Amino acid sequence: MKPDSITYRLAHFLSTRFPVDKMNFQAMVEKKEVPVHGLSWGYYTGGLTFLFFMIQVATGLLLLFYYQPTVSEANLSIDYMMKYVTAGALIRNMHAWSSSCMIFMALVHLLVAFAMKAFDKPREIIWISGVLLLFITFAFGFTGYLLPWNQIAVNATKIGIQAFKDTGQYLPGLLSQVPKIVMETFQGEATVGQATLGRFYALHVVILPLAVLMLVVTHLISVQLHGMSQGVDRPSHKTERFFPVFFFKDIFLWVLVFVALFIISICLPFDSLSPYPLLEPYNAFGSTPPGIKPEWYFYFLFYPLEMLPFWVVLLAMTALVVVLFLTPWIFKTVSRRFLRFIALAATAYLLIITLFGQQIYALVRP
Amino acid sequence: MLWLDHNCFKPSEICPGPLSVLVTIFAILVICQLPVHSYPEFQAYSEKHSGKTVDCAMCHVNAEGPIGILPGQLGSLSPADMEKVNQVRVAMSPGVKVDSPILNKFGNQIIKTLGEQRFLELKSDPSKLAAALGKNSDLDGDGIPDSDEYMDGTDPLNKYSGNPGLLFINNFSRYHRHILLAVVATALLGYGIVNLLKTFD
Repeated sequence: MKPDSITYRLAHFLSTRFPVDKMNFQAMVEKKEVPVHGLSWGYYTGGLTFLFFMIQVATGLLLLFYYQPTVSEANLSIDYMMKYVTAGALIRNMHAWSSSCMIFMALVHLLVAFAMKAFDKPREIIWISGVLLLFITFAFGFTGYLLPWNQIAVNATKIGIQAFKDTGQYLPGLLSQVPKIVMETFQGEATVGQATLGRFYALHVVILPLAVLMLVVTHLISVQLHGMSQGVDRPSHKTERFFPVFFFKDIFLWVLVFVALFIISICLPFDSLSPYPLLEPYNAFGSTPPGIKPEWYFYFLFYPLEMLPFWVVLLAMTALVVVLFLTPWIFKTVSRRFLRFIALAATAYLLIITLFGQQIYALVRP
Repeated sequence: MLWLDHNCFKPSEICPGPLSVLVTIFAILVICQLPVHSYPEFQAYSEKHSGKTVDCAMCHVNAEGPIGILPGQLGSLSPADMEKVNQVRVAMSPGVKVDSPILNKFGNQIIKTLGEQRFLELKSDPSKLAAALGKNSDLDGDGIPDSDEYMDGTDPLNKYSGNPGLLFINNFSRYHRHILLAVVATALLGYGIVNLLKTFD
């Protein structure tokens, strides 16, 4: 193999990203050290995201026992579960709350990893698999939102699918047909109906979990192989052992978070946060109730779509996706201090648009 | 049973013939002659006071209101059911148990508590409905009185619908033993796992 050939360069790239000599218990666990500094709390965000994912899997499996993925029974089966199944309401609330917590933690994890420059060589694959995991998490949210088959679920899904289809008019040539084809594939019929529910259900409980499994394995193995990133520009040289010190702290945090989630799930029904007419069974012949909105984690996209021309938002989101995937190369030489500034600006945008999006919309479009 | 299986609905299946058109027109005319109304004043007040979307399902069986031919609407009622509707119209005084098929439990409870006459009087000032109902009735058992749910724009018949802060407090006091047990069990589990892992160190 010539040193300048593509094959050689690819093999070299992969061998430095997956160093086989480090693939042993000693290197990946026993000798692993975790840096200690002001941003050390950021090392726990990935674990918490994983905890919420495990809760999603466990509660989701239990929900499968009763949920019926048909338009005539989906809402009834959830109603039955909430009213008559022992701990049914608790399990469903845990599923709903932990889904929101998982997306929240995934976003925090991404922003912290960005601020800590955790994408730096040789951690590019960790970053890219993480970005893919974030997108899949959003896809989980979008597909899961439809499953209760209530007014907000079906109407919000219709809006989401239509917005995706509209992107076609801004694409050139044959590409302009792609969103339509993708939309028809997942919608399955002329409007959101039984075919859509069946396909979203398959995506939510089989296809997306399998994709997550593959990516999580890649992500976690890479993290263990390369260790935690240095995190700050000037490391303090103070470290703690991954096992048992960091590991036990992580488990302790998991226990605390699990108890908090349990208390919230048993005391505060997730449905209480939405107006009750939006949670009534979907009525294809009735009027659409006002206030149809996506879940809070899509507000960063929803409110700009409501306020700005479609092509502006499309352009911005496309640029964002490209930048996210190319981050390890775009920000290769940028200092962590500047990355922290960008992460803070992104956090401020997400917080403002999520918490005050409605008020801003009322100001812009009275 | 079109409403139970609306997803199998095919437009060709309900293409009306001349007879069914006549029957429908007749039914609509009959319904229009009946002195039965929905009272959107209360819905509008609840919506304005709470800032939340409220629909007819707060008091009626059908979320679209009592007028129409769908389940829970006047056009779908049998003569026996119409008789029950008429009983509500004459229940002028409080305390008369009514079971109108167009009203849900909360709607019937309002008529039973206030009587039709007092209820109609409140139409001009819907803000007084909550005070008139009092705090004794909590049909869904969520710890929030129905009258407060009316003011908050939440569903008085769904224990998962209510003011989130009040629901949290009520459920916390209701399930405090469960919570205590969960805390103890999780703490013991965490203690056990940590000690188990220490043996591998």
